[in-house]
Amino acid sequence: MKTWRDVARYHLVVPWAPLLIPWAILSGSFLVNLVIFALSPYGHHTVMTSHGPVSVQDATHGYTGGVATIYILFLIIGLSLVGRSLPFALSLGVSRRSYYAGSAALGAALAVADGLVLAGLQAIERATDGWGVRMFFFRVPYILAGPWYLTWLTSSVALALLFIYGMWFGIIHRRWNLFGVAAFVIAQLAVVLAVVLLVAGADAWSSVGSFFTGLTAAGLTGLLAVLAVLLLAGGHATIRRATV
Amino acid sequence: MSPVISVAGLTRRYHDNLALDQVSLEVEATSIVGLLGRNGAGKTTLLRILAGQEFPSSGEVLVHGAAPAENEAVLRRLVFVREDQTYPDFKVGHALRVASWFYPRWNAALADDLLADFGLPPGRAVKKLSRGMRSALGIVIGLAARAEVTMFDEPYAGLDAVARQIFYDRLLADYAEHPRTILLSTHLIDEASGLLERVVVIDRGRIVLTADADDLRGVATAVTGPVLAVDEFAAGRAVWDRRRIASRASVVVAGGLDEADRLRAASLHLDLTPLTLQQLVVQAAQPDDRERTSA
Amino acid sequence: MRDVAGLEEGTPLFAQIAERLAEEIADGGLAEGDRVPSMNELAAFYRINPATAAKGLNLLADDGLLEKRRGIGMFVASGARRRLLAQRRQRFAAHYIEPLVTEALRLGIDADDLVALVRESVPAAPQGGVQV
Repeated sequence: MKTWRDVARYHLVVPWAPLLIPWAILSGSFLVNLVIFALSPYGHHTVMTSHGPVSVQDATHGYTGGVATIYILFLIIGLSLVGRSLPFALSLGVSRRSYYAGSAALGAALAVADGLVLAGLQAIERATDGWGVRMFFFRVPYILAGPWYLTWLTSSVALALLFIYGMWFGIIHRRWNLFGVAAFVIAQLAVVLAVVLLVAGADAWSSVGSFFTGLTAAGLTGLLAVLAVLLLAGGHATIRRATV
Repeated sequence: MSPVISVAGLTRRYHDNLALDQVSLEVEATSIVGLLGRNGAGKTTLLRILAGQEFPSSGEVLVHGAAPAENEAVLRRLVFVREDQTYPDFKVGHALRVASWFYPRWNAALADDLLADFGLPPGRAVKKLSRGMRSALGIVIGLAARAEVTMFDEPYAGLDAVARQIFYDRLLADYAEHPRTILLSTHLIDEASGLLERVVVIDRGRIVLTADADDLRGVATAVTGPVLAVDEFAAGRAVWDRRRIASRASVVVAGGLDEADRLRAASLHLDLTPLTLQQLVVQAAQPDDRERTSA
Repeated sequence: MRDVAGLEEGTPLFAQIAERLAEEIADGGLAEGDRVPSMNELAAFYRINPATAAKGLNLLADDGLLEKRRGIGMFVASGARRRLLAQRRQRFAAHYIEPLVTEALRLGIDADDLVALVRESVPAAPQGGVQV
């Protein structure tokens, strides 16, 4: 049954939502940051000297973190996909399994494609020395700072993860409304708390700390991938009994 | 020929509410079955379970010989038109295009004709449609899908009488050329009564009546006239719903009346009015005998 | 559906369909050898289920008033009209005479007066009506 492929097509019938909106918003964020950087090109900080306070140019480039926008957008798109589009799909005889598979596949495809574009933009940014104003928009220290193919991989995995995470939220909301979403968030915090307590109990902070600092970008990407798979399974388990 | 829909002991419980209670039902292929009953009786729940949109609490549900839930082989041969369908940010044309992907028997020409019949512009956003237009869209999808099992759940919300007649006419016309199994849940019973071959009445989660529609015609008659004459005529017969005003009375007599009965009634100056299907359904849903008097 | 093409509530629809077709045949509207409307045509006209229409047609066919020609349709059988009129005559007494007599008795009209009334009402030379 190739229903899941039709589901992916279904989400693209109105293409500008999943395809263009992330880029439209990202472009907006980019332009705003660009303008700000153009007006005050280098970061400054104040230093006390024998002659009194002096403004000194920062040695490093300016990281804006604006690229986080697109990641958040992937979360939101994953979320809205379930809310808006699930009812009609179910009424057309699509199984929940196929719907989930098709939506996740679309999210993965978008993640890979957009990740490639992000890697490309990162390369251009590097080549133009921060777009001529020394702005780091598409590069993020350590995580998105390596060779283009690694950046591509990391971005894709991160985008896909957020998309899947958003889908799960959407499914929880569909089944149990805002109350369920709140419970979901609390449950996750509880899990985090449990882990923290476990680590503290085993007095293992230093080993945990060194594990994380010893992680390369590639290692982190692998970790994110594992997390994404777990979230995928969670969402799938939850959608199986969803009703509209 | 085995029935295309087969339900046995179906129960659906929500927290404290028993929406369906041990429902058993069989629907033959190529027939039009009316699913009748009051609001909240369980018609929608039953249809949703048949369409795989809800899950049974217990019992067996088979459509084309298999359970419909999450079963795409079955669901491709089934279309369910709901009363309150929500759509994504689509235009009318988008909704039809998508529907055509999932129904192997979809007929685009029929869909276009129906759009024109209902005056639905394909370029309009579904969100901007009036309630009646949305219902019309659901009907277009339901009919153009030409699915072997076609289910309508009160599909005419917001449709005026003219549009409803268009629906019945188009349904009949397409059914005549492409017979299929149609389940129509409605509370506008008399309007649709000519279409129905079989009638299933649900009340408070239970099936209270299953019969051929034609068998129900004339099965109960209202007898009105002078009190004594009415009592004389009704003596020895099953009777329900007695009413009285001054020296006239009206009772509903169960059981068919033959030629002799008619002549006798005429000679007693009694009026005989057969109960319509709608009135029968109302009666089936509240079987208590009630005495009504006015001064 | 009430009042559409005059179908009534009290009797099964298929029986009413059969009855109407029989009347058409008896009145000469459908001559022997004429094709009768198909089940789909009847269904569309009366706005009823085709199966119901088919049942009505089959009822007449079982009585020998219609004959099926496979692939073409149903046709009025020979002798159908004659048989229907004979049936009507048989029912005439029960349908018309008996109620007439009952009512007359109630009003105190005796047999002779009744016969005189009937004579007055019947036209001298037959006008319209059915020729057999």
